[in-house]
Order: sequence, then C-alpha cells, then structure tokens
Amino acid sequence: MMQLVTLEVNGEQHEIAVEADGALLAVLRDGLGLIGTKRGCDTGGCGCCTVLVDGRAVYSCMMYTLSAQGRKITTIEGLAADGKLDPLQEAFVNTGAVQCGYCTCGFIMVAKQLLSETNNPDEDAIRHAIAGNLCRCTGYHKIVEAIRLAAKGG
Amino acid sequence: MNDYSVIGRSIPRPDAWEKVVGGRGYPVNLRLPGMLHGTLLRSPHPHARIAGMDASRALALPGVKALITPADVPRIPYSATFFKPATSAAVVRDMLILDGTVRYAGQPVAAVAATTASIAEHALELIEVQYEELPAVFDPEEAMREGAPEIHAGVRHNVIGRPTYSLGDIEAGFSAADHVFEGVYETQRVHTCYMEPRVCVADADAQGRVTVYASVQHLFGLREKLAFVLGLPVSSVRAVQPPYIGGGFGGKLDLAPIEPLAALLSLRARRPVRIEQSRYEDFITSSRHPAKVYLKTGISRDGQFTARYARTLLDASAYASEAPEVIRVHSRFGLMLGYRCPNAKWEGTLVYTNNMPGGAFRGYGAPQGCFAVESQIDEICEKLGFDPVEFRLKHAPRCGDPHPSNAAWKLDSYGFDECLVRGAERFGWRSRAKAASGRGVKKRGFGMAAQPLWVSGCLGAPDTYEHSGAIVKLNTDGSADLATATIDIGSGQTAVLCQIAAEELGISVEAVRLSGGSTDTLPVDAATHASRTTYASGIAVKAAAAAAKKRLLEVAETMLEASAVDLEVREGMVRVKGASAHAVPVADVVKRAESPFVQITSKGTMQTVLAEKGTIIGTSSLAPPRNPSPASAQFIEVEVDTDTGEVRVLRAVYAHDIGRVVNLAGAEGQVEGGLQQGIGYALMENMRFEPETGACVTADFLNYKMPTAVEMPRSIESIFVETDEPSGPFGAKGLAEPCLIVPAPAIANAIYNAVGVRVRSLPITPEKILAGLGKI
Ligand code: FES
Ligand code: FES
Repeated sequence: MMQLVTLEVNGEQHEIAVEADGALLAVLRDGLGLIGTKRGCDTGGCGCCTVLVDGRAVYSCMMYTLSAQGRKITTIEGLAADGKLDPLQEAFVNTGAVQCGYCTCGFIMVAKQLLSETNNPDEDAIRHAIAGNLCRCTGYHKIVEAIRLAAKGG
Repeated sequence: MNDYSVIGRSIPRPDAWEKVVGGRGYPVNLRLPGMLHGTLLRSPHPHARIAGMDASRALALPGVKALITPADVPRIPYSATFFKPATSAAVVRDMLILDGTVRYAGQPVAAVAATTASIAEHALELIEVQYEELPAVFDPEEAMREGAPEIHAGVRHNVIGRPTYSLGDIEAGFSAADHVFEGVYETQRVHTCYMEPRVCVADADAQGRVTVYASVQHLFGLREKLAFVLGLPVSSVRAVQPPYIGGGFGGKLDLAPIEPLAALLSLRARRPVRIEQSRYEDFITSSRHPAKVYLKTGISRDGQFTARYARTLLDASAYASEAPEVIRVHSRFGLMLGYRCPNAKWEGTLVYTNNMPGGAFRGYGAPQGCFAVESQIDEICEKLGFDPVEFRLKHAPRCGDPHPSNAAWKLDSYGFDECLVRGAERFGWRSRAKAASGRGVKKRGFGMAAQPLWVSGCLGAPDTYEHSGAIVKLNTDGSADLATATIDIGSGQTAVLCQIAAEELGISVEAVRLSGGSTDTLPVDAATHASRTTYASGIAVKAAAAAAKKRLLEVAETMLEASAVDLEVREGMVRVKGASAHAVPVADVVKRAESPFVQITSKGTMQTVLAEKGTIIGTSSLAPPRNPSPASAQFIEVEVDTDTGEVRVLRAVYAHDIGRVVNLAGAEGQVEGGLQQGIGYALMENMRFEPETGACVTADFLNYKMPTAVEMPRSIESIFVETDEPSGPFGAKGLAEPCLIVPAPAIANAIYNAVGVRVRSLPITPEKILAGLGKI
C-alpha cells in the first residue's frame, strides 16, 4: 500500500509516495536519489545506512518511513550543503580514514552526533560511539584519528 | 627518506573527496533508463535434482519481462575463477549458470526480471519447482567415505585432486631428528564481508552485445568469463570500469551467478537488468575454505629443521572454483617454502561437499597453513627453549638466495631478518614481561608469528594472467590522464598509481588523474589480487609514463634547442639537465604538440614542425619481469580473562618488507585493515550452518561477528622495511595480504603465553580457552 508523506530532509520538504511498511533507507536512495546513504545489510548490522533524525544517528534501514514524518532528517548530502566540507569530511580525507569508502558516510553521520554532544571526546568515547558501524578496510584506526582531529577543529 | 619528490609521501586518496560527500561512483548506485529489477530463486535443499519446474504463472504476472530457468541457459561448463583462462587445464569446469542439480542450500535455480523489485519477488513465489531430494554430505571426511553421496558425476569419493609437494628425503630427515613435533590445526569458514553488496547491471543492445557494470575485482576477467559462459565472442561483452568499488578482499574475484543471469535476462527483455544481492546472498556467494592441517616437524638437537611433513584436507565445497589454486598457494606459501629445510613433503586432498562455495579471500590459502606452521614453531621454541625470533631467523632464507618457489629467480631484495629484528625491537620483545604476568584473573601474554615468503603478483603461478597495461596522456594544461583497467577495491591504487606516474613524468601528483574506461578502450589487466597492483600495475604505469615523457622531450627539442637525451622534467618544467634556467613548462610543450600546424601570433606566424604534431601519449602492456617476495613479522600483546575466557588484543606491531613505500598513509591503512580481518579470523568470525539442511545461520552481521572499533587494539604500529626491489617501480613490491595472514597464529601464541592454553583450532572462542583451563 502506497501512502503520501512529507519528509524534511536536509532542510527541504519532500512530498513523496512511499510503501506504508517500507524503510526510510529505500526512500532516501531510490525515492530522493540521496545515494550517499548506503545499504550494507538491511538488518541493522552494519551502519552504512546511518542518518541523523532530529540530530540522533539511526539506521535508516530499520526506521519506518512513516515514523520519520515531521522530524528533521539529515543525510551526508546535508553536510557541506554550502559547498564547504564539514570538518569531519575534511578530517576523514586527510587522515586516510577512507579506503573503499562504502562505510564512510555512515561513520561521519555517527561522528556528527557525537561531536554535537561532546566537544572533546576521548578515545574510548569515540570507539564506543562508532561501535555500531562496521568497516572492513581500515581497522578503524584512522577513523578514530579523523574524528579526534575534527573534534579538535581540524 | 628518499630522493623522490612524490614517492613515499602520505597523500590523500584522490577518490576520498568524492567518497566523503556520498560516493556516486559505486556500481550499486547505477540506474539506467528502462531498467528492470532482477532477482533469483534459490534452492532450500543442499542436494537435489530438479525434477520439474513450472514458471508459467510467474511469466503471466503483469510486469514480468523475462524469466530464466535451467532449460534456458547455455550448457557450457565453467569455473568461476576470473584470473585464469576459461579453458585452462588448471581449472575444474564443474558449474553451469543454472544447473538441473543443486549442490548447496541457496544455489540459484531460476531468475526473473520485472518492472519493479516487488513484482519480481512476487513472481518468484509463483514458480513451482519439484525437487527430488538427494542425500547430502557436509563433512569432507565423510564425503570421502565409501557410500557417501556422489556430488559430481564420476568424481570418485568426491576427491577432486590429491596434489603433492616434495623435496629431499623425508624418511631420512625424520630419522635424523632428535625431536619430533606433531599436531592437527583446523581453520574455519569465514566470509570476506566487503561492505558494498555484489551488484550487476547488464544492458543488451539490439544486436545482442552486452554491456555490463558490476562490483568485481577484475574487469577483463568479468568480460572473458561472461562471454565464455554465454557462448559469445569476447568482443560481444563490454565491461565498464567503475571508478571504485566498495571492497572485495577476494570476495569479488570470480563470476557470481548474478552476472550471467542479469545478462541472459537482459538479452531476453532487451532492457537493462539490475540484480543486487541481499546480504544473505553475499554471505553464501563465496568464503575462505575451511582446512584441516596435520603438521609434523623433525628437529635436531641444535635446533635445525631436519624434516617437515604436512597433510591438508581442504573442503572444496560444492564447486571446485578457486580450490585447486587455493590449495597450491596454501602448500607453498602457507606451509612449505617459508623456512629452509632439506627434507619436506606435503600431501593435499581436495574434496567436494554440499557446502556453500569457497573462493578467494585475502591471503588465499596461506592463513590455513601459516596458522599451523607458526603455532607449531611456537610449540617447538617453548619446549626446547629457543627464542622465537632467533629460531625464525635461523631458518629464514637470505637476500640473494635462489627464490624458494622458482629457481629461475633470486631473492634480489629481501628483508625478512630486518622485519624480525626491527619488529622485535619496537615491540620490546626481549624485555617482554614474564609469561602469565598480571595479577588477578586477567593475564597478559606476548606472541609473534611471521610470513617469510609471499608474492607480488602471480608470475610463475600456473596459467594465471599477470600482465598489465596503462595509457598516459598529457593535456595542454600540463596535467596527465592515466588509464588502466585495474579496479580500486579500496586498495589505494587511485593514489599509488598516480604517484608513480607523477614521479616518472616529473609533475606534481595533483596533476595526474586516474580516469576510467572499459574493456573496449583499456589495455588488458590482471585482477586486483595477490598483492600485485603496486608492483605489477605500477611497472606498467611507469613504462607508459616513460613513453609519454620520451615523446614530450622530443617535442621540447626545438623549443630548448637541445637534444632529448640532454633534457629532463622536474616540477612540471622541461629543462636542460644541469641548467635549470633553460626550461619551459610541460604545458607549453604539450600546447606546441597539440597546436595547429601554423600559428598566427602577435609576433607573426610561428612555424612548428610536422614531426612534433600529435597528442603526447604513452602506452604500455607488459608482464612484470619477476615475482619478488615481501616478508613480514607480527608481534601481539593480549589480555586473557581467565574467568570468562575473553581475549583482548592490546597492542600490535607489524613489520613488512615492502621494497619501497609509495603512499605511507595508504600502506598503514592496509596493515590496520588486515589486522581487523586477522583478529576476526583468530577470535570470532565463523560461518555456521544448520546441520540438516546446510543453510547458513550466520548470514547477517548480527550472527556473524567481526571486530568493531571497540574490539580493536588501541595501539597498532606498522614498520615498513625498504629493501628497494630492483625490478619494482621505484623499488616497490607487494603489501596487501601478509598483514591478514600472520595475526591469527601470533594471537594464538600470545594466548598460550598468557594462560598456557594451546588452541589449535580457529576461532579461539572463550569456550575453548575455558575448556583449556579446565573450567568447563
Ligand atoms: S544497511 Fe542499515 S545497518 Fe546495514
Ligand atoms: S573503508 Fe571500506 S568498509 Fe570502511
């Protein structure tokens, strides 16, 4: 069953027909063309699909589109919207935290929430914050470094 | 530091800028106009004959545009391996795109393409399949017994092959031994866990030519295998190179069913067809083969190997695919060739079972061997009181020795001893705390392991593609476009190959861009595998850049009134050697070559010479001259909780003879990622299956555990030993794989050091440790 909903994504309102029981991930990717949000598993196990909903990192594959109505959704495309990279994005590039990069946007979104809540997270706080996201390329070492660098203001 | 301007620097990967804002280039993002959604019907049974199939109701469903059953596929047996010729005698051709017999749970039996994904899913439910179930066997030892189910017609006892290796006189070697050590070492089935799912878009045109976009590690392998299984000439398939893919690690090194099925569906529907695997499908597409290794070693009183014997039983799974090559690499590079011993013998057995397919996975057969060898060396050193570093040094080959795998070569650059010595020093090996240190229930332990011999590509391996090619083209703004068919799977050649081209051309790395192409336009290249790209593709890129530079200098001759041999390029300027004032920018030389024949300028007409005209371009297509060996050593500190059996890896020091570092941050990233996979292999990763049906019960990330940022050590150090390989591009050789091979035995040895429990089977779970402590 399709249903018409209004979603606020990256500060813009979108009216779009969605499956009543469908997940937000598919709507972002296929409906709105926001392909920075990736599917790694579809079962809440990898974090590639992470977006912010009202500032909190969620797995978009596990959230019903209908429950995202009336809330502020931010995807990776919502960062650097003015053409200037977010300090996290800069730091991920400069520390070598990006290898295949498929997990990267999910990590950046999780880190975005962390840095909005803590100015100067220590290593344990960073590691625990990103423990819901999997990366198979980097061993997380440079991801942790990137987040720490961004926290220090780049 | 070296004298190079670009080689050896840490540079950001050029593709990272695109990836942090979303990464448009992944194959999973591709959509074409009119594209259909393809999906596969899979067998619930591990072994069955398809007695009948009725797809008429599915075909009648509005929106269904094409459907493929076993009756619709070419009956061309094939091996899925990308990197060997399709008709090579070295591969076992035991697969069909869709077979009338299924041999593992989850094997595809039909495929549908429809206008929407949900229609395609619905159509699958309408296909009626009559399976005639056959007895299945999952244990390789049982599969070899008399009376076991025959999995492939005519393969007696399900044994695909019994390869062997021998050197010297094994009997005499054991007679000469003062001590004999033996043990059985078992390793489990694990999955590569690349993050981007396997996906394929196939687009057949009106003449039946198929263009294919896929997340795979070998562009030309995809073209060749796809054409072969479809019964088409290779020129009827065009594989388009993605700018990057979301990981591979070997898991995208062979033809998956989705690629030929998408092509067949598209040929039928004459519309583009896209198939994207679910994570469950990814899990059951490929894996590292489980192995059981029996290892026996004879040692003289003074600590010399007198004989080494090993036997390996490899579960080849339902289809042979990579298994014959995996077991070959396993025997040479995992077991036998790394340390010097005059008498050696190995016997392998490759067995079909009704388990899901094996395949390639970073390290390719070596981890199963290295775990046995490096664990047993630790047992030997412990029992006889040798220092593990000294013992390995004593048995290691030396620089200048004949290459153990091919007497035609020498170990021209070889720094294993330096890896051991520098690694031990950085780790503080000599001053490591006494075994079982730590008060209370948590015990610290220290362990090491090594990989004395490895590869930089596949030269010398039977029937394996190894050549590479490149095109370097200079632009009128002084920049260069570099094209090769190599696939960046996260491995970093997007940066490394640009650095190599920039260094050779004498321009900045920012001025070189890796651009894409397809099998129509690019020179043939081998796969991204076997730690080969920096070395082998690097040689090709350097050669193409050198050819472009040669042409550049020829054109500059008239401008600088000097002969090309007296010219050089530095920092983007062509200049007379030794006279830096006499120089012109590269851009000006290229402009001259590209300019119309006669230029009218404010100063009047300017003549250029006919011979200078044309794009400045260099191409190459060649095989590397050798296969130089990297080497590595791993040092690990763990903490073992004797109450819970939990292991934490606290610290890792890894030393690797890399020949020459090209991109430091990229090289460190390889090591850190390899360690994550190695810790997973050692402590937690394990594919498990329902005993009756063979269905995978760990086909998602909730049940398949791999290390997160919390389980990884806080301290990871990489040491790169630069031995300047004479045949390598600027001295470089291979890196990618040993860093995943060595962690498991190093961790096992550290655990033994901590709590005195020797675990000879992976993964080393808390239960195994508690059992070893006598607590359960
Ligand atoms: S795709 Fe959502 S957690 Fe993996
Ligand atoms: S960079 Fe490849 S999965 Fe994280």
